[in-house]
Amino acid sequence: MKKRIGIVLGLTLGLWSCSEKIETEPEAVEKPLFEIPSTFPTPTYNMASNPITEDGFVLGKKIFFDGKLSRDGTISCAECHNQVYAFTHHGHAISHGLDGLVGIRNAPTLVNLAWQNTFFWDGGVFDLDLFSLAPIENHVEMDEKIGNVLDKLRNDKDYPGLFKKAFGTEDITTERFLKSLSQFMLTLISANSRYDKYIAGKEPFTSEETEGLRLFKEKGCVTCHPEPLFTDHSFKSNGLPTDFYRNFIDYGRFRITELDVDKNKFKVPSLRNIEYTFPYMHDGRFNGLDEVLDHYSDGMADLENLDPIFKKTTKIGVALTAKEKSQIIAFLKTLTDEGFLKDKRFAAP
Amino acid sequence: MKKLSIALVMGISIFFAACEKSDSIGPNDKNDLSMYFENMVGTEPITLGTKTYTSGAGEDFTITTLNYFISNISIKKRDGTELKFADQYFLVKETDENSKTITLKDVPAGDYSSISFMVGVDSAKSVSDVSQRTGVLDPASYGTDNMYWSWNSGYIFFKMEGTSTKSTGAGNGYKLHIGGFGGMSAKTANNLRTITLPFGTDAAQVRKNIAPEIHLGIDVLKVFGSNVKIADKNEIMNPTLGIPVADNYKNMFDVEHIHNDAM
Repeated sequence: MKKRIGIVLGLTLGLWSCSEKIETEPEAVEKPLFEIPSTFPTPTYNMASNPITEDGFVLGKKIFFDGKLSRDGTISCAECHNQVYAFTHHGHAISHGLDGLVGIRNAPTLVNLAWQNTFFWDGGVFDLDLFSLAPIENHVEMDEKIGNVLDKLRNDKDYPGLFKKAFGTEDITTERFLKSLSQFMLTLISANSRYDKYIAGKEPFTSEETEGLRLFKEKGCVTCHPEPLFTDHSFKSNGLPTDFYRNFIDYGRFRITELDVDKNKFKVPSLRNIEYTFPYMHDGRFNGLDEVLDHYSDGMADLENLDPIFKKTTKIGVALTAKEKSQIIAFLKTLTDEGFLKDKRFAAP
Repeated sequence: MKKLSIALVMGISIFFAACEKSDSIGPNDKNDLSMYFENMVGTEPITLGTKTYTSGAGEDFTITTLNYFISNISIKKRDGTELKFADQYFLVKETDENSKTITLKDVPAGDYSSISFMVGVDSAKSVSDVSQRTGVLDPASYGTDNMYWSWNSGYIFFKMEGTSTKSTGAGNGYKLHIGGFGGMSAKTANNLRTITLPFGTDAAQVRKNIAPEIHLGIDVLKVFGSNVKIADKNEIMNPTLGIPVADNYKNMFDVEHIHNDAM
């Protein structure tokens, strides 16, 4: 048994060093900032309304990493959206904002946003350009007024010039500010994981990973997490027992639509880079993928609006053996896109 | 003597008005038409902050903030001809006297007999590209007096805040934030309200030399009616809860009088 693990480890290391080599090669070639991956559909974001340029991207990235967006200058977008962890808040179930205040939900991954039609776990925002206003103005996040942010940028020595480069004049407007941030976020495309290379016939899967992918489909995970984006952008209840610990019941999508049929529903997240986006679920209650799969097999609560897919048999949830779980997890880890997580273009300026 | 001169003046004005009606409207004559929004409690002007009023439900209240969006204005002649002012958005704020006058430019000369407008920001504009959100629709323009929900994309159409001894909230405060344009990614509560005010026998007489002012009286007691109680809810900040408030405030607008003074 020990021997087998050793072999597997050896093999993995071998593959790993191989893939390292492959990844370092393309850096010499200038990649376009935004390119629709061949397996992806047409973006839902209106790309024509905000053409991505090098200067717009540079400006958006500077803003993304700038603490000026927060009232006291301490918190930037990158604080809770760290590239190394697929633009999530590493290890944080929920995030702390100014004055030690905490939010109610887990910071989601920022990936393939051009294909996303609603934002936040409850889908309260329907346009990426309008998204950034929310964390800036939320008093438990950056607690600042967008008007003040623009004034701070106007009084900065660098920003007026950067706006001129990106948009033609030094005018710093709400539209330009939000659209440059969108330009940066739109470029955060992850479509070159081992899974993608496997689909393209460029890299093999281990037998465990192959079996994991088969189970991912057979067990119905793929229904809400379809390829290639690994989300169908819908809102679903996956039976997370109400978290009484925080003395607060989060009804998710209901907060926005105020419709009873939306109680307990949350947006289906993409599974890309899931190995790095822990902790999981809207409130970050699970630290590991094993806990997530344990929830699906044995931990579900029969809440109002629980998705029918989990009610196919007398026992709610998805029947999974320990072996099947580890195979599915092996597959899920093939969704890690090392090139994306280490892409220097997205690193702090 | 006094009476005589008034009669004379009246006679002269009637004579002039009659003249203008029949003869003096040129095909290209245009002028401004303005609306003045006078916010009141009952029949008295609002005193912000210090004065205490009583609602229809018998609750005491003060007013510290009163803002609302006006859009989609249209005016109609007696023959049914309608003139729409698309893509013009206004934010009336009790703290800003200038904001209470809305001026419509280049209105063709004629006698207008009714006016219609929306309280709020219509759904098309509410889902529009950020490039369309300038002036009073720019989320950066509100300072600390926010009129935009960033967490549930949409404008706050109507905002009224103050205090009441009936409120159990912080500092006895109450907050009415009414929004909800019907939803983009799902159908949600729609609190857009359109108000139509006929002028009766009166008219707004736009002429080359007359820029009429329609003086509107707004009675904020109507916001509460007798059914909206601060003791029940001291914070209304989501569209569904806002429905009865919107249904109430659509009745708060009234035409007091119209000035048709020659320039």
